Amino acid sequence: MLKLIKEVLRVGEATLPYPFEPIEQMPGFRGKPHHDPEQCIACAACAIACPPNALNITTDLDQGFQTWSLFMGRCIYCGRCEEVCPTGAITLSPDFELAVMNKQDLYERADYKLASCRICGTYFAPIKEIEYAAALLRQSGMSADALADTLSLLEVCPECKRKNDVPKMVSLFQKEGSDVQR
Amino acid sequence: MTVLTEEKPKVGGKYIEALRARFGNLILDESWQAPDQVTVTVPLNSLPDVVEMLYYQQGGWLATVVANDERPLNGQFAIYYVLSVEGLGDDSETGGKVYVAVHAQIPPHQPEFPSVTPKVPAAVWYEREVRDMFGLQPVGLPDERRLVLPDDWPDNLHPLRKDSMDYRYRPEPTTEDENYDFINVEGEGIVQVPLGPLHMTSDEPGHFRLYVDGEYIVDADYRLFYVHRGMEKLAESRLNYDQVTFLADRICGICGYAHNVAYSNSVERALGIEVPARAQFIRTILLEVERLHSHLLNLGLACHFVGFDTGFMQFFRVREKAMKMAEMLTGSRKTYGVNLIGGVRRDILKEQRTTTLQLLKELRAQATTLVNMFLETPNIVQRTQNIGRLEPQVARDYSPVGPTLRGSGFARDIRVLHPYCAYDRVPWKVVSKDGCDILSRTLIRAEEFFESVSMVERCLDEMPEGPVLTEGFAYQPYKFALGYVEAPRGEDIHWSMLGDNQKIYRWKCRASSYNNWPALRYMLRGNTISDAPLIVASIDPCYSCTERVTVVDVRKKKATIVPYKEMERYCIERKGSPLK
Repeated sequence: MLKLIKEVLRVGEATLPYPFEPIEQMPGFRGKPHHDPEQCIACAACAIACPPNALNITTDLDQGFQTWSLFMGRCIYCGRCEEVCPTGAITLSPDFELAVMNKQDLYERADYKLASCRICGTYFAPIKEIEYAAALLRQSGMSADALADTLSLLEVCPECKRKNDVPKMVSLFQKEGSDVQR
Repeated sequence: MTVLTEEKPKVGGKYIEALRARFGNLILDESWQAPDQVTVTVPLNSLPDVVEMLYYQQGGWLATVVANDERPLNGQFAIYYVLSVEGLGDDSETGGKVYVAVHAQIPPHQPEFPSVTPKVPAAVWYEREVRDMFGLQPVGLPDERRLVLPDDWPDNLHPLRKDSMDYRYRPEPTTEDENYDFINVEGEGIVQVPLGPLHMTSDEPGHFRLYVDGEYIVDADYRLFYVHRGMEKLAESRLNYDQVTFLADRICGICGYAHNVAYSNSVERALGIEVPARAQFIRTILLEVERLHSHLLNLGLACHFVGFDTGFMQFFRVREKAMKMAEMLTGSRKTYGVNLIGGVRRDILKEQRTTTLQLLKELRAQATTLVNMFLETPNIVQRTQNIGRLEPQVARDYSPVGPTLRGSGFARDIRVLHPYCAYDRVPWKVVSKDGCDILSRTLIRAEEFFESVSMVERCLDEMPEGPVLTEGFAYQPYKFALGYVEAPRGEDIHWSMLGDNQKIYRWKCRASSYNNWPALRYMLRGNTISDAPLIVASIDPCYSCTERVTVVDVRKKKATIVPYKEMERYCIERKGSPLK
C-alpha cells in the first residue's frame, strides 16, 4: 500500500488540462481531410478510393455541373484520398476537433463546370480535368501535329468519339487493304 | 482448384496420409493453398467422422467453419471446417502443424448437413451461424436456437445467400416480442422473464441469464449479436479488396489491426503474393503495440473489478504511452489504416524508431512497478485464485483461444504454431500457466506484455531495409486461403475467396472472442454471482458492457432482473446482495 501511495505521489497529476489548453498531436497524425478547391480537377479518383463513401461525386448533366462533396460524419481518416489525388488537392490535416451543433456543418461541397462536346453539345467532363489532361499532353514531348490532333479529341465526348471511330477505321482498312484480315 | 506451391515443402502431410489410411476413397480431393494449408474434400455424410478424427486423434483445434454459397460457380453450397492440426504427444514435436479445411458440398435441393457438434462440441456456435446466414440445416445439432440473426428477423431470409437480399435491405420486424428461448436448468420449471428494451446507447450489449442456487451460479446462458453489423455482406457487395482492409480494422476497437493483418494475409496467401520483409517487420511491430495497450487495458479492468480503482487509473495512465506510440507509428491512436494488400502504407523512420525505443523503456519500467503492486494487493489473489476455472477438458472440447486457453495449461500460440509476419525471425517465448483460473489468465497477460515490449525492440533493431509494399499483381478469381493472427485475446481467423469483379466473393472473419464465449458457461458454474463480472472480464471479451443480467433462483423459481451497474457494484464491494 505504501508503495502505491509513493508511486501515486511520484507521478503527480497525469490528467492534461485539455480542452482548456491545446493538446499536442504526434507528427503524421491523420485528421480531417483538407480540400483545396482551386487545385481539385473533379476527376473523382478520391470518391472511388474512399472506403466509407465519405467522398462523393455527383454529375448534373442538365445544368452542366459536377459536384464534389465530403461528409465528415462518415470519414475514417484513412487518407486514401490523399494517396490517389493526382493534383495534391486533398491533404490530411491534424485537425481532430470536429464537433458541430448542426449536422449540415459536417458537409463540404464544391461545384465544377462541365465541358460540352464540340460535336453534339452534351456535357461530358469537368473543364478543369480536360485542361489538366491537355497540360500533361503538352509536356509529353509529342510532335506538334500529333499533339494538335490529340488535343482536338479532348473536346469530344466519348459517344461522339465512338461514332467518329467507325469511319476512321473504315478509311484505315481501305488504305491498308490487303494487310488487314477481316 | 490447383496446387499453388508445389516447389515448397508441404508441412504436416502425414496427417493427410493418416486420413487417407482411415477413410480411403472417401477423401475425394486434396488441394494445397499454401505449404501449411490444405483443403480436403469429403462426402457430406463423412464430415463428422473426418472432423472428429482430426480433432481428437490428431490434435486438431477448431479454427473456424466457413459456409459458402458456391451455386453460381458449381451449383452447390459448400462448407469448410478449418482445423489447426497439431498432433498429439510425440507427433506434436515432429509432425509439423497444418491447417486442414474439411470441405463438403451441400446440394441446394436438400439444404442440410450432418451436425458435427455431437462429436466436436466446439462447432456449436458455427453451425448455428451457418443455419442463420445460409439456411443450411445442421441435422442433429442439439441447440437449434438462432445465434446471429435477431429474433424478429423473417424466417426464410438468409442474408449471405447470393440471391437473398441487397446489403442495404432492412426487413420489417416479424414480431414485437423478444422470443429467444433461454435454456431451462435441469428440467426445473423456471419462469422466463421478458426483458425490457435494450439501451441503444450502450455500445456493446449482450444479455446474460444466470441460474443461481442462493449465491452460487448453477448455469448460465447468454444472448449476444445484438450489434451484428453485416460486415461480411458489405464487403462482398460494395467494397474492393483494398477497401476491405479498412473495414477489417473496424471489426474491433482494440484488436482491429490484428483483423486487418489476418484479412490481408488471407488474400496475399490466396494469390501467392510475397510481402516485403520490411513490411512483415512493421506489421509485427504494430501487432505487438496493439497487444501492449490491449493487455494494459485488461489488467486495468481486472483492478477495477476487484475494487482497486487506483490501480485501474494507474494502468490507464501507463497505457497512454502505448497509445501515443500507436499514434506516432500509424497516424491514428488506434492502429488503423496501415495495411493494403501486399504490404503497409507507412514506413517507420529513424526518428520514430528512436522515440518508440524511448517509450518502450518507460513502459517497461512503469509497468513493472504497477504489476508488482497489483500482485502485492492482498485482495487480488484472494479474488482470482481458483475462481472462474476453465477445466482443461472443457478447453479441449471447445477450442477457446489466447490467454483464456493458455491459462489452462495449453501452450498454444499461433505466432509459434503457424508463424506469420516476422514472428519466426525474432526470439520470444510463449507464456502459459496451469492454474486454469482468473489469476493465471491475468498473469499471462502481464508476462506477455513484457514479451511484447522486447519483441518490438528486437524488431526495430533487426528490421531490414527495403520496400514496404508489393504492387502490380493481378487478382485471380475464386482463389481462396486462410489468414490468421494471434490477437491479444487469441487467434483471429479469416477465410477469403476472391471474386471475378474486383470484390471478395466470400469473406469469413472469426474474432477470437467467438471461440471463447461458448466455454464461458462452464467457467461461471459453481462460482458466486459476485464473481461473475470478474470471470467475464477474464476472457477479455470483445465487448465491455453486459447490459443487464437476469438472475434466476432455481430453488425459489424466482427471476430477478439486476441492472449491470448493480452487478458490477456488488462485484467490487461484495456487500448488499442485489438478490435480497
